[in-house]
Amino acid sequence: MTVQAEAHAAHPPEAHQSSRVDARTLGMFLFIASEVMLFGSFFTAYFFVRVSAHTHWPTAGHELPVFVAGINTIILVSSSFTMHWALQAIKRGNRAGLQAGLTLTFLLGLTFLLTQIREYSRLGFAPYTDAFGTIFYCLTGLHGAHVFVGLTLLLAATIRSYRGHYTADAHWGVEIPGIYWHFVDVMWIVVYTTVYIL
Amino acid sequence: MTAVTHDEVHAGPAPPPTGWRRLLAPGWLRVPWMTALFFGIGAGITVLVRWLEGWDPIWKGSVITTVELTAVPFGFLAGIGGFDYWMRYAAGSPTRPEDHSGHGARSWRDYFRINTDHKVIGIQYLVTTIFFFVAAGLLAMLMRAELARPGMQFVDNQTFNGLFSVHAALMIFLFVIPAFAGIGNYVIPLMIGAPDMAFPRLNALSFWLLPIAGFMMLGSFLAPGGAFASGWTGYAPLASTHQPIGSVFFNMGVQWAGASSIMTALNFLVTIITMRAPGMSFWRMPLLVWANFTTSLLVVIATPFIAGSQFFVMFDHVMHTHFFDYQAGGYPLGYQHIFWFYSHPAVYIMMLPGFGIASEVISVMSRKPIFGYRLMALSLLAILVLGFSVWAHHMFVAGMAPWLRVPMMVTSMVIAVPTGIKVFSWLATLWDGRIHFDTPMLFALGFVSMFVIGGLSGIYLAAVPIDIHTSDTYFVVAHIHYVLFGGSLFTIFAGIYFWFPKMTGRMYDERLGKLHFWLTFIGFNLTFFPMHWLGIQGMPRRVADYVPRFADLNMFISLASFGLGASTLVFVYNMVKSWRFGPAAAANPWRSLTLEWQVSSPPPIFNFDEIPQVVGNPYEYGVPDARHAVFNGDRQVELEEVPTR
Repeated sequence: MTVQAEAHAAHPPEAHQSSRVDARTLGMFLFIASEVMLFGSFFTAYFFVRVSAHTHWPTAGHELPVFVAGINTIILVSSSFTMHWALQAIKRGNRAGLQAGLTLTFLLGLTFLLTQIREYSRLGFAPYTDAFGTIFYCLTGLHGAHVFVGLTLLLAATIRSYRGHYTADAHWGVEIPGIYWHFVDVMWIVVYTTVYIL
Repeated sequence: MTAVTHDEVHAGPAPPPTGWRRLLAPGWLRVPWMTALFFGIGAGITVLVRWLEGWDPIWKGSVITTVELTAVPFGFLAGIGGFDYWMRYAAGSPTRPEDHSGHGARSWRDYFRINTDHKVIGIQYLVTTIFFFVAAGLLAMLMRAELARPGMQFVDNQTFNGLFSVHAALMIFLFVIPAFAGIGNYVIPLMIGAPDMAFPRLNALSFWLLPIAGFMMLGSFLAPGGAFASGWTGYAPLASTHQPIGSVFFNMGVQWAGASSIMTALNFLVTIITMRAPGMSFWRMPLLVWANFTTSLLVVIATPFIAGSQFFVMFDHVMHTHFFDYQAGGYPLGYQHIFWFYSHPAVYIMMLPGFGIASEVISVMSRKPIFGYRLMALSLLAILVLGFSVWAHHMFVAGMAPWLRVPMMVTSMVIAVPTGIKVFSWLATLWDGRIHFDTPMLFALGFVSMFVIGGLSGIYLAAVPIDIHTSDTYFVVAHIHYVLFGGSLFTIFAGIYFWFPKMTGRMYDERLGKLHFWLTFIGFNLTFFPMHWLGIQGMPRRVADYVPRFADLNMFISLASFGLGASTLVFVYNMVKSWRFGPAAAANPWRSLTLEWQVSSPPPIFNFDEIPQVVGNPYEYGVPDARHAVFNGDRQVELEEVPTR
């Protein structure tokens, strides 16, 4: 047994990097692929209900607040830009920019979620009212759950940014939640277009 | 080469806490109060929301049960330490990414904690899945006891329905899928020359979701009203309206098992893509790695659909939503479409890793290069793609649009082409080889022959007229057992025997292994082959009683099935005895070329002292001077031999 081998006993040998893609980024993209399919199953259910309804859609008695939800959409989409700003700031080593960007993103996301909950309480129909109510609440609710997960990730990134983590060279802890947050935003645009507008 | 053995690792963790602080350290002391805490949080939030909204009653059993089936497992995971690192990370506290104290197993206790070593996790997986395999097998024998004679003997109809539902759910979600994940977990990083998986902590977490899912499904027998009894397929609206609360145990159990398998698949994919040893291109990967790569793609893409379908059923059941309620505008057939869009690819999730294992074993034990290596890999990908286009062949009698039948029939039959490529390649590999009939090889050959029978009855079932005749009869039961028992289970056994010396460092008892194979093989055929005939004669599956003219054959099947069940005792005895007392195994007892056999048995704690350099294909048996990889020591020899100028 060589001295070198003793050293390896405490530390694994560095794994050979066989791809240009970073493992964490790839993991997040695969996770997002899985999430897209989860949304896919909910959209499948949505279109089954909608196509089999054979009537005017949305069915009678379901007025959706398209305008308020539109404002909410703008709020969520703008949070994607602040997220991008935060990432660009830390890439240049600008910690204040990172902190401001992350905090703003978190607050915008929270505003979106709270507006959504307020919308729920004023809609006048419930998940158990009929199939439209079911599919509306489940699709938007599934998205809401993802916003919640995204906010949890953002909260961790924000706390860490205030506790002195992240540098211009090491910032994957901002980048990976950022990818997820952009996914949540894009998904909302799809949900909003399908459920509210089409 | 030099090998680092387990006990030479001195990377000690912080001294263990003493006194009451032991309650705070991750582990089994923290589990009870953490679980209770999460139970309280779950119940508290539910009651608070119901009180604020003025719903009556505030404490409603079905809702509390559903919430707790989510909250309590989180409490368990938090207690055992699944989230400790991430919580510290999220809070910005110091973490020790270089802390490898969670690595390796020095005593049996290390198998009962969060362990980030893929080798330990692989064994955790296999032992857990075999536990659930035995449990599900016992349920099947209860079923056969009831079916031995016409009329009702031991159980009532509802209990019988529960028996076959839990049997299938456990076998599929807690045995076949995770057993392959366990073998993959152990072998893949070694095979590709990686020190561990890409995300070891995620790997540990994904294992601990499994016992949760398993005990949830088993526990449904204790739920008021009995176990879920709508079959493992859980068709709505049956599962969403006429079932006891045990049905929710199934819905949530599937979510936990599904989350586990998605996390593992993601981990496999990232590991295989980013951590291969230098020189190991995709076309130099062993076929087991290829098989798990395609399987993982299937899992990541398809599994969310079963998650969706179980959410819908659960919401319909507990929240009284209307996904599948025709009266309120729902679409009942939607469940089957969404369910089978996952569950048909799932049969390939349950088969492709077995193809990989069979390829390894057959090539090594017939001492010949695998026939048609590239086509073997490409046919896996072809199955992956085609697998998504056949789901509606499960629904020929469900009342779906008739125009969908013929296209689905054609695509289902086309899948026989890539599968046929594989079968013929295995046969061509055997052709003229020096075949060694060790236990793994016996199981691999048993797999090829039985899987062909299952595949042929699959072609029958893909044909619309025959399917309409045999739908929901024992013909279908015979078919799925020929592909899942004769196919998946035989390859799992082949894999366990093949890698047993690598995993435990000891050799299993070859005589007992052969005895196990022959008992299983004969018992299996005596049990399931007559079911083809029963099915064609019209005996319906999933019914506790039958007409007296089927009595003799059913008695025969039941007796054979008890013999089949007893054969498992030989297996378990062999495993336990050999793990404890077996003779020490050589590093490479099968003279295999792949990387996992080039290190000691069991492998060093970080697999390789130095990452090997891959220089050739993995299956060049019988080719003079062929090498799959060179290790550090050899490379130095080669360098010394280079003449200096």
